[in-house]
Amino acid sequence: MTRVGTSAEIERGQAITITVDGHPVPAYAGETIAGALLASGRRAWRHTRHGQPRGLFCGIGLCYDCLVTVNGTPNVRACQTPVAAGMVVDTQGTP
Amino acid sequence: MTDQVEIAVVGAGPGGLSAALAAAQAGAQVGLIDDYSQPGGQYFRQAATELRVGRPMRHQSEGRALWERVSASGVRLFAETVVWGEFEGNLLGLHGPQGAVFVQARAIILATGAYDRPVAFPGWTLPGVMTAGAAQALLKQQRILAGRRVLLAGTGPLQIVLAGELVRAGANVVAVLEGSRFYAKALSHAGALWGQWGRLAEGLSNRLAILRAGVPYRPGWGIVAAHGTDQVESVTIARLDPQWRHIRGSEETLHCDTLCLGYGFIPSSTLSRLLGPRHEWRPDLGGEIPQRDRHMQTSVPGIFAAGDGAGIGGGPLAMLEGRIAGTAAAAALGHGAVDAERRIQHLARALTRERRFQRMYAALFTPGPGLYEWSRDDTVLCRCEEVTQAEVRRAVSLGTDSTNEVKAVVRCGMGDCQGRMCGHLVAHCIARETGRPIAEVGFLRPRPPIFPVPIVALGRQVEAEEITSGAMSETDRR
Repeated sequence: MTRVGTSAEIERGQAITITVDGHPVPAYAGETIAGALLASGRRAWRHTRHGQPRGLFCGIGLCYDCLVTVNGTPNVRACQTPVAAGMVVDTQGTP
Repeated sequence: MTDQVEIAVVGAGPGGLSAALAAAQAGAQVGLIDDYSQPGGQYFRQAATELRVGRPMRHQSEGRALWERVSASGVRLFAETVVWGEFEGNLLGLHGPQGAVFVQARAIILATGAYDRPVAFPGWTLPGVMTAGAAQALLKQQRILAGRRVLLAGTGPLQIVLAGELVRAGANVVAVLEGSRFYAKALSHAGALWGQWGRLAEGLSNRLAILRAGVPYRPGWGIVAAHGTDQVESVTIARLDPQWRHIRGSEETLHCDTLCLGYGFIPSSTLSRLLGPRHEWRPDLGGEIPQRDRHMQTSVPGIFAAGDGAGIGGGPLAMLEGRIAGTAAAAALGHGAVDAERRIQHLARALTRERRFQRMYAALFTPGPGLYEWSRDDTVLCRCEEVTQAEVRRAVSLGTDSTNEVKAVVRCGMGDCQGRMCGHLVAHCIARETGRPIAEVGFLRPRPPIFPVPIVALGRQVEAEEITSGAMSETDRR
């Protein structure tokens, strides 16, 4: 939901931008896609085949609920995949 | 491509790192396989390397130091790599940054760890409802808060740890719901706390931190339902009876944007079940775990198991078990065999102390059976395949009475997570419907690939089999 701390306590990685569903989302090197999405205020980013919203659940790479399409590759775990400059992320499923 | 190692250690948390170090120090050639980009598992989870932090969080310095020793001992790390299958003769199928790799090991040490127990109740699939581990991983690895108004629900002292960390990081922790009325039983277990001064001091300091922040701590409370359209907005809570069933009429509603579930842990035993050793159902240790001898060897010779994946016991116990497993596995291959037994006996004494703590923890914080009755008929049990409790019950009414039969009928456990999330939920539902004990209802039989891998990786497997079993005949090819 928000990044922690002041610059004195925490120095983040390089500021970069990723594209999520065509919109720019700010991120810092060292963050995961899920981290950057949550920090930008987004909680839901996948819809199941029944149209139900999903986001981060287990957060440690086991539940596969947070899947996104990254640079055209589908079903990538947002919670385990680090952001990179110019990365194109598309969410999966429709509400 | 097939690599050879003497000992393959699966999982680089406290147990796996300790096992790898002990085996390598004894002279064995060790491959350490881990799903994450940085070793440490959940317990030692490190801050991302790109992040510069003034003060490390809990256990991070200790984990870093242990990894440095492991790395210096010549252990070969396969990072960001999952073990998705096992074939005849300890041949492990891996998938990672190099694509599909096969590793042939003479011995395997499973240190697969554990994950937060999924708990099904109306609204539990809403975004913003997540495991306590998810919130903690975000904080430790990325210094990102899972939410602004956070409700913690679960059991055990780790909840208070997380609450303290969230408060210090600037979150508003709405309340901490503790399912257990542990204080009523605490006195009879006080003996096991004698000598645990570090743990007591840490617990007290965390309890004081949330007290100072004005966070309500509510033992004997649990969740009824999470509400919201696109994400959680509020949560109905209720008092629990000693069996953890809701007490009608006690409901309250709390507003929050995040609900963290910390109802204890389930051992990650998918791989150990795939490998074939005998398992037993131990609710006090988290679920289905491999049986082991005092060398941490399972019923299959050459396959060892250490840490939470073989029964929930926490980081310090995992490290002791890992050292024993690493020493014993190396000795079985002729490395350091001369004084292995002396070292194992020395470690076993510390293990006895740690097991006392483990038993006390289990007695105070194992969830009651009512936890599995928080779901309703329209509640999804299998998140991947969106199978509801009603569908599972219907499958039972058609005459199925085991998890594997129900899986075949309604597909629960066939999704991407391979039953890691729904396995216990479905098993408890069937046990309740049929009146059979959970151990008889059984658990989902793992089938490779136990982690989703690209079809290309499986294609490579076919090639590998062709190589080992000779070329396929022309008829087979068609």
